[in-house]
Amino acid sequence: MISDAPGVATDAPAFEDGAQGRIASSTGWLRDRRQAAWDAFTAMPMPSSQRDEDWRRTDISKLRLASFHESDPVDETLVAAIRERRDHATPMAALVVDAAPETRIEQSDALAAAGIVVSSLEEAVRLHPALVERALATVGVAESSFIALWNAMWRAGAFIYVPRSIDAAVPVWVAHSAAGDRSATFPATVVLLEDNSSLTLVDDYLSAVGTDELFSDALTIAAVGRDARLDHHVLQQWGEATWHIALHRTVLAQNARLRMFGATLGSRLQKAYWEVLLDGPGAEAEIAGVAFGDAVQHLDHQSLQAHRAPQTTSRLKLKVAVRGHARSVYSGLIDVDRIAQQTDAYVQNRNLILSHGATADSVPRLEIRANDVRCGHGATAGHIDDDHRFYLMARGITEEDADRLIVRGFLEDALAHCPNDGVAELIGSLLDHELEGDEVAGIALVGP
Amino acid sequence: MSVQARELTKDYKFGFHDVDVSVFRTEKGLSPEVVAAISQHKNEPEWMLKFRLKAYEHWMKRPMPTWGADLSGIDFDDIYYYVKPAGEQSRSWDDVPESIKNTFDRLGIPQAERKFLAGVSAQYDSEVVYHNIRDDLEKLGVIFCDCDTGLREHPDIFRKYFGTVIPPNDNKFAALNSAVWSGGSFVYVPAGVKVDIPLQAYFRINSDNMGQFERTLIIAEEGSSVHYIEGCTAPNYSSDSLHSAVVELIAHKDAKIRYTTIQNWSDNVYNLVTKRAIAHERATVEWVDGNLGSKVTMKYPAIYLMGEGAHGEVLSAAFAGPGQHQDAGAKCIHVAAHTTSNIVSRSISKGTGRTSYRGHIKVYPKAHDVRINVRCDALLLDEESQSDTYPYMDVESPDVTIGHEATVSKVGEDQVFYLTSRGIDENEATALIVNGFFEPFVKELPMEYAVELNRLLALSMEGSVG
Repeated sequence: MISDAPGVATDAPAFEDGAQGRIASSTGWLRDRRQAAWDAFTAMPMPSSQRDEDWRRTDISKLRLASFHESDPVDETLVAAIRERRDHATPMAALVVDAAPETRIEQSDALAAAGIVVSSLEEAVRLHPALVERALATVGVAESSFIALWNAMWRAGAFIYVPRSIDAAVPVWVAHSAAGDRSATFPATVVLLEDNSSLTLVDDYLSAVGTDELFSDALTIAAVGRDARLDHHVLQQWGEATWHIALHRTVLAQNARLRMFGATLGSRLQKAYWEVLLDGPGAEAEIAGVAFGDAVQHLDHQSLQAHRAPQTTSRLKLKVAVRGHARSVYSGLIDVDRIAQQTDAYVQNRNLILSHGATADSVPRLEIRANDVRCGHGATAGHIDDDHRFYLMARGITEEDADRLIVRGFLEDALAHCPNDGVAELIGSLLDHELEGDEVAGIALVGP
Repeated sequence: MSVQARELTKDYKFGFHDVDVSVFRTEKGLSPEVVAAISQHKNEPEWMLKFRLKAYEHWMKRPMPTWGADLSGIDFDDIYYYVKPAGEQSRSWDDVPESIKNTFDRLGIPQAERKFLAGVSAQYDSEVVYHNIRDDLEKLGVIFCDCDTGLREHPDIFRKYFGTVIPPNDNKFAALNSAVWSGGSFVYVPAGVKVDIPLQAYFRINSDNMGQFERTLIIAEEGSSVHYIEGCTAPNYSSDSLHSAVVELIAHKDAKIRYTTIQNWSDNVYNLVTKRAIAHERATVEWVDGNLGSKVTMKYPAIYLMGEGAHGEVLSAAFAGPGQHQDAGAKCIHVAAHTTSNIVSRSISKGTGRTSYRGHIKVYPKAHDVRINVRCDALLLDEESQSDTYPYMDVESPDVTIGHEATVSKVGEDQVFYLTSRGIDENEATALIVNGFFEPFVKELPMEYAVELNRLLALSMEGSVG
């Protein structure tokens, strides 16, 4: 029975059948993991803006999980639009579509020939259980209720494995989607890079333009081996009524390097954790992102740069523009362990507030327990500088165009860190659409 | 000479306690009876008793804060909430107990400088024991007395402002203070009067297991200005003490208040203080806040910029030695347009010491043309020390310029090398660098305080290298 009554401690009934079915069809460690996750989820209260510091500025009391069902199958027009998008940015990339009813994979032959595994996570559990188990070990079963729910509920998903000393010749584009009002989806990307390998990855979360209320509980886990390199892109372009809760976690071994770029454009409410754990000496992470909030969007980014080994370096830069009644929440932590001497870490969050009613909160935190470090953060909030506007208008540019140029220039500074040029160009054109006032929460479908 | 003064002429050294000469103290622990007993002992009006009892209820209801420093070591049942020392309040330097004079000397304030203070107040345990103000200021209508006297002799002004900036249910420790408050300073500066040299108060806990809950209320009328300085010390007892003050400042139109604190409580004092100011139109409020002592400090001086053109400054310096946690910071809440604020924080951790900067900046939707700047720097002196930064920024207005920068680093090897290569030993070089690091704070202090602070820092730094 689905219960939607107020005061229900958890929304367990909504996914009870799905979870029990998955537990029953799993074996061994995965069965144990799913069972433990489900038990934890049903025992845990949902996060509350009254109680939990992480959720203090992001209110999900209106998210009634019990009213959701598992996603309807996505139709071919949406898949075609996804394909077109990949073609626009990186035509050579292998494509993984992680959406109901099942994961499909296209154009992965070249990678397979090099020994690289690109498959659904379900299939990987059957064919490479040890590899999947190793990768999943990076995330606790019950770190939070959403992680517990994900662990119990993920199904199709994407799995990518790059063997030792292999460079993936083309990117892998993983599109996560869902369809149907009150549809829930549990996007999964699990990546394992062996020592000295490299991969360019795109995680693309999207749905059709429209008011369908979706719930996305997403996880990306990437374990990057010694001297290996991961370029990771995260695009979020869900439709305007979507709840998107996500954890993107990368663990770096010795001298491993992450370049991550995120673009947050869609959803009604997002809470995304961007986490990098620098576990090996010499590891490096460069994280950047842009977010554009519009109408009543609530975009929450929470970052963690955890320095747990000496001589590690991390940089994070998030640039946010908000207009209408949008609200941006950024909180971040640089956490330096006692043994992580010679850490060099910096985080910056710059906010541009474009209208009355739009707000930006910023909480960049530092917790430092080693002494031989260089750590810092910078946070700013401001509006369009009248001098800049005047300068452009004095050259015959209209006020509207001047403002667009200024906002674009503000975001461009972060976009320059996007590792893949094609992806950067796609994001740039989406930002242009947003500035023109076009709908970019969700993608427009053309077709029959 | 009073009984107390004679008792106190015995040897006194900073960090050692005087003979406990209290004549009245409440039972250990807190109950409505204890609250009523304090009020009764002070012969307070009915409204204050009600205020205290209401605050007591808030105190009971509120949970302990869990987001900051570790407060689990406080045993609220093992504290004396009110301790009245023997002797009446004196007004002449000659009558001041010798120990307090010695303490002033220990603080390094020479006699000549002391004369230049506009007024001095000294609180022992729960009551103010010495109090004086320059005659010319008194003639201008400046009021500077302890809060109990303020309530008794200036009931109208007192009641108009008391508890209006920090209501009793503001937080758990404000509620506690509101229930059991005693002593502290009451300052009233009439319109247009500029008090050009500082008023000073000095707070000391002398009794074992003592809680000091002073209450300070400063009102600066239109166009006036005042600088208030407080210093705090306590002897070293084996058991912990609690200091939980509430400080309320009201700066009316075009007024200026500067509030300077040098906190050097002994390292067994929990120092949990609520300080908040309201700045009206074009008023300026400055908190100059130095935290060197205590076991745990949680203190975030706040400025509510309520009137157009108001300006706020917080200058914070913290030093945490072994076992200390300085959780300090600042809050600037911009409610009105054309308001500006500036926060500078410098902190140093040594040994197992931990410094945390915790700040809150908030800009309300109607506050346009707001400028805010925050700068936090922390130095870590060795591998055991820890530093945290938690700045919260909520911006609801598009027309603002906010900058926040923070750094954490260690004493630069290059800097030390530069100094040692010139024949300065390593300890001294580190001390010099530390002094330089605190320079933005020290330069805002009156000279005698600056000298003392440098001396205290030098003591804290001894043996920090090697």
